[in-house]
This record gives sequence, structure tokens and C-alpha cells, in this order.
Amino acid sequence: MLETLKTLCYLSGPSGYEDEVRDYILERVMPYVTDIQTDSMGNLIVSKKGRVTPARKVMLCAHMDEVGIIITGIDDDGYLRFDFLGGVDRRVVIGKRVYIGKNRIPGVIGIKAYHLVDKEEEKSVPKREDMYVDIGAASKAEAEETVRLGDYGVFDDSVYEFGDGFLKAKAIDDRVGCAAMIKLIEGELPCDCTFAFTVQEEVGTRGAKIAANRVCPEVAIVLESTTAADLPEVPEGKTICKLGSGIVVPFMDRGTLYSRRLYKAVTELADKNGIKWQTKHMIAGGTDASVLQRSGLGADTIAISAPVRNIHSPASIAKITDFEVMPSLTMLLLEAISKE
Amino acid sequence: MLLKDLIFDLCDIPAPSGFEERAFSRASELLSPFVDEIRTDAMGNLIAVKRCGRENAKRLLLDAHMDEIGMIVTDIDKSGFLRFSSLGGIDPRMLPAREVKLLTEPPLRGIIDTMPPHALKAEDMDKSIDAKKLFIDVGLSAERARELVPLGTPAVFAGSAECFGENEICSKALDDRACVAIIIKIMEELSSRAPALDVYCLISTQEELGMRGAITGAFAVEPDYAVALDVTHAATPDSKKGETMDMGKGAAIGVGPNMSRRLSSMLLDIAKEKGISSQTEVMGGCTGTNGWVIQVSREGVLTALASLPVKYMHSPVETMDVRDAEAIIELIAELAVRLGKEDAR
Repeated sequence: MLETLKTLCYLSGPSGYEDEVRDYILERVMPYVTDIQTDSMGNLIVSKKGRVTPARKVMLCAHMDEVGIIITGIDDDGYLRFDFLGGVDRRVVIGKRVYIGKNRIPGVIGIKAYHLVDKEEEKSVPKREDMYVDIGAASKAEAEETVRLGDYGVFDDSVYEFGDGFLKAKAIDDRVGCAAMIKLIEGELPCDCTFAFTVQEEVGTRGAKIAANRVCPEVAIVLESTTAADLPEVPEGKTICKLGSGIVVPFMDRGTLYSRRLYKAVTELADKNGIKWQTKHMIAGGTDASVLQRSGLGADTIAISAPVRNIHSPASIAKITDFEVMPSLTMLLLEAISKE
Repeated sequence: MLLKDLIFDLCDIPAPSGFEERAFSRASELLSPFVDEIRTDAMGNLIAVKRCGRENAKRLLLDAHMDEIGMIVTDIDKSGFLRFSSLGGIDPRMLPAREVKLLTEPPLRGIIDTMPPHALKAEDMDKSIDAKKLFIDVGLSAERARELVPLGTPAVFAGSAECFGENEICSKALDDRACVAIIIKIMEELSSRAPALDVYCLISTQEELGMRGAITGAFAVEPDYAVALDVTHAATPDSKKGETMDMGKGAAIGVGPNMSRRLSSMLLDIAKEKGISSQTEVMGGCTGTNGWVIQVSREGVLTALASLPVKYMHSPVETMDVRDAEAIIELIAELAVRLGKEDAR
């Protein structure tokens, strides 16, 4: 799963431009699935038979998109203006490398030299509309040779392990869920399952909405990642969850009050099987669960998430032992559902 | 080696102020084919000389600093996060979610974590994070971090150089390794043109901490003439007009009290005569370069300043135009030849 995740994190797929990720996943899962559908927004929905057909229809969900930028303008002197795709804290993009469009034109989000910054300026963060991407073009015409309005940009994509079992990459949110679903698809399943690799989660859980309408799940399992703020300057009550403390099973976030029954089932299964887990200690964030739970006649919904530091940034960090249990814990839940 | 390759090679070396050994070794290797002698001093400077063979020949000093800005570990907290101080001026706004390389043996990767939005008050979202509240995450427990990362361990920005289009290079440490590369190319050029004076190279240390290496380096060389080679600010959309040069418009020739008027004029004349792309950079006082200390070394040194326009100075994404560096090489090589001719007369 770790190698799959690394490969997935390299791929470019900001919200609305998930093609590269979808193509890769499709290639990986094709040999194992019975039904493949893509819809008008680009969701990839596949089904696989398990040992039994469960009493309730099960859907697993992970989103393919990552946060990024979209080019909104080109200045006369060749600098690109942009907006964010998804929620990006603009403090993490200053002086960062980006790659624009399918051809991966390298650029940087510039900021003038520190020597030219006065004391007051230093205390504030440049407004998004004042930020720009420098691709080394000397004029608008030169920039237009390689970049078009509406092109997307992704952050620096270096992926590596560091420290004692940590992974650094962009887009861990939510390629980790995608990697776990690929792993599940490759193995034998206890019951029939439908897997939705969704688009546009980061701009408001858009893809999951229509995927749910197509699948009509009765049980929805969202495989996700969630903010960990276990950092020195963050007060204890605001850490949400911690790296190294296990996989996260939330009871509630800003979008969803998760199924209490499934929450209990998952956490008990984890305990029984010696899987380290934690819950979120603060009501924050949201996932595709919010729309899956309330689509059609509704679905019993739970999330299983990897804790991630610097989550919507070019340098997200996850602990491998936390997330690598995601497929096995999900499998235990599927076993339980298959016996209902 | 091609100029571009030389710049890539030198910028890749991790060598922040005070920890320049790696840059010293590589610069020595690269310079050695073009000089007669290389030595060092107590500050760790690299001093090289190419002699012309004449007795009592005048001395021209070419200076560029080998140190880059960086960080130094000052404390390790109870969860293993590293507190740090900067080596040289770094805009704290560039630090969150920044990848760094800790110069332990072997080097360790680190990431400067960012404070997530939910942990901040709404009004603080528009404010920069004080560098004192930032730390490097090395993915180690406190015990392991203490074992592997001694206090005083230096760090540099991670990431390698990259080309932007045909002529631009984006990298950390262009300030001032690009000028170290320029000096190597000047010496290569001069090896066939044999100017009639001794040419010294001072690849100096600790410039970013206040031009410290150049003080002893210039004292040791006791030059008649000196050219400081450093980077200058190139215009960006967020900089003010009048406080920057233009990238791609050639060598910036310094004019002002820090520079000898004679040498500034010679450079401007050479640029004009030879059609070398150049721009005049007028500086009222301290140039913020080693030229400032070299000028007043011993009994005084006729000093010139040639600068390479660089965008986003002191960031991991400094950007330059190779054609500007080529212009400086041509300009300074010609200056050396002309100064030699004047003195041989």
C-alpha cells in the first residue's frame, strides 16, 4: 500500500482535473473488478463481488482530487495570477514551487526579497490577489506559449520517507484513501462492494454527491485523511489527533455526525484485533461522508482516516504505521457487515 | 564545464554561513585547473592566485562568497521538534511547510510545520507566523532527536536547481554561488588571455552574517584592485520601482561611494565598447556586499562591484538569467586584461 500511495502522490489531480489519477487507478483495478463506470464529473465507480451479497448495499469512497491552484490571469510581463482549488492556507504557498498544466511547466510563487520588506509588511501575509506565479516568461505572449487560462497547478511533488517511519508528500489527502481502496480491490472481499473514487471533494464534496445518487448505498465507508495538529505551539485541546497514535475513527466532524453503530463497531473491532486507533478530539473538517449520508434514502456512514500534519500543503506528513492499517480495519468492518 | 552546469553543481552544495567546508572543497576542485595556488585562512576563506610572472605585479582580487543563508538548531523540545535560529536574513513568511536538510552525518530531512488554521483566531489568519513559533519536524522522538541532532546543527533549504525556459535558473543559494561560478569562468577565460597582473580569487565565508570572511581574506591578499561579485535585487511584481535592477538586462555595474569611480567608469566603458549588456546600479551608501569591507581593507583598495540580478533573494527559489552571468564574465575578464595593460605600461 505504501508504494501505491507514493505513486499516487506523485500524480497531478487538483479538483476538476483528476484525469491522471483516475487513469492510473483504472489501470490498477481493471483486472479485479466486474463493473466500471465513470460519470459526467469524472468519478470512477467500480464494483467487485465478494463471498456474499450483503443485506445492505455497501459503498466505499475516497477522493482522487487534491488542493492546488488554477490560473486566472496572465500579466503583461508574463507573471501568472491564480486562485486556489480547495482550501489552501495562503501562508503555506509563499516561495513554493508549482507545476502548471499537463506539461508540468515549472514555476514559483514569488515574494520579493526579504531586504525589500518593511517591518509592517513582514507581519502580514500577501493577499491571494497580490500573489503571482513566475514561470520565467518575459511577456504575456511568451507565457501564453505554454500556459492557458484555466490551467491547473500542483505543488512540488517530492515524496520520501524520513525520520522514524514518516512519509512526506503532497496530496496524501486523499490518495491514502485511494491506495487503501486499491489494496482492498486487489484482495478477496467478504461481501460485494462498490468503490467510488470521487472528484472535487476539496471544492465541496461535489463528486460524491452524484456518485451516491448513482450507487444508492445503504452503508457508506469513507476512507480519508484528517488534520493532525500535534505541534508544540498548539494547545492540547486543539491538536485534533496525533501522528503515531493510530488510525482515526471520528464520531463527528463539521459535515457529519457519524453512525454511532458503525463507530462502535469499528472501534470495537480495532480493539479486539489490536489495531491502534484514536478519535478526533475536536469537531473540525469534513468529508464526502456529509453527502453520502444524506443522499437518496440515506446511508449508515462512517469514516476511517489517516492523521496528517500540514494537510493542505506541499509538505504533508503522515506516519506509516497509522495509515497502513486502513485496509485491514476496513476489511474487519466488511466482514461484520457481510454477516448482518 | 558549462556555466549552467557549474551553477547547478555549486548551488547543490549545502553550506550555510560558518559551515562552508563542502563549498570550499568543491570550489577548490573547480578552480584548481586555472590557478597556481590555493590556500585557506582562519575564517575558512578560499584564497587562490593566478600569477602573471612579473615581479611586484599589481594584484586584482575577485571576491564572491560561498556561504548561503540557512538555519541552526538551538533547542529540541519534549516531543522531538527542533527550535532554530536563522543564519542570515530569512523572511519568516516563507518558512511554513518548508522542506529543509539538516547537515548531520548523514544528513536528515526536516519539514517546518505550519500552524493549522483551526488553531488560530480568524484575525490571525492574515498575519505571518513569528519565526520563534516555528520548528523543524524530523519525525523523531525527543530521545532520538537528541541523539542524532546535536545542538548547533546547521540546516539549509532542500530542493535542487531547475531551469525555467532556456535562460533562467531557479535554485537556492544562487546568492552567491552563481558568482562563485562566474569567478571560475573568469579564471578559465583569463588562463588564455594572461593579464599582466596577479589575479586573486577570494571565495569568502560568512558574508550573510555581516561580510565577516572578506575582512581577513582581503587583509591577507592586500590587493590593489578588487571586484566584489554578488547578487542584486531584480524587479518582481511586488517590488517598488527604483529599488531593483532588471533580470535579463545584463551585469549591474555599481556606482557610488563604495566603488572606485575609476573602476566603475572602466566597467561602463568596457560594456559600451564591447556591447556587453549592462545596467547601472547607483548605491548611495553601504552596498551590502563584501565590497564594503574590502574597500577599507588595510590602506584602502580600489573597489568595483558587479552584480547579478536575482529575483526572490534569500529564498529557496532565487531566480537568475544565465545571460546576465555571461555578461559579467566577459566584463570582468576584460577589466582584468585592461588593468594589466595599464600597469605594464
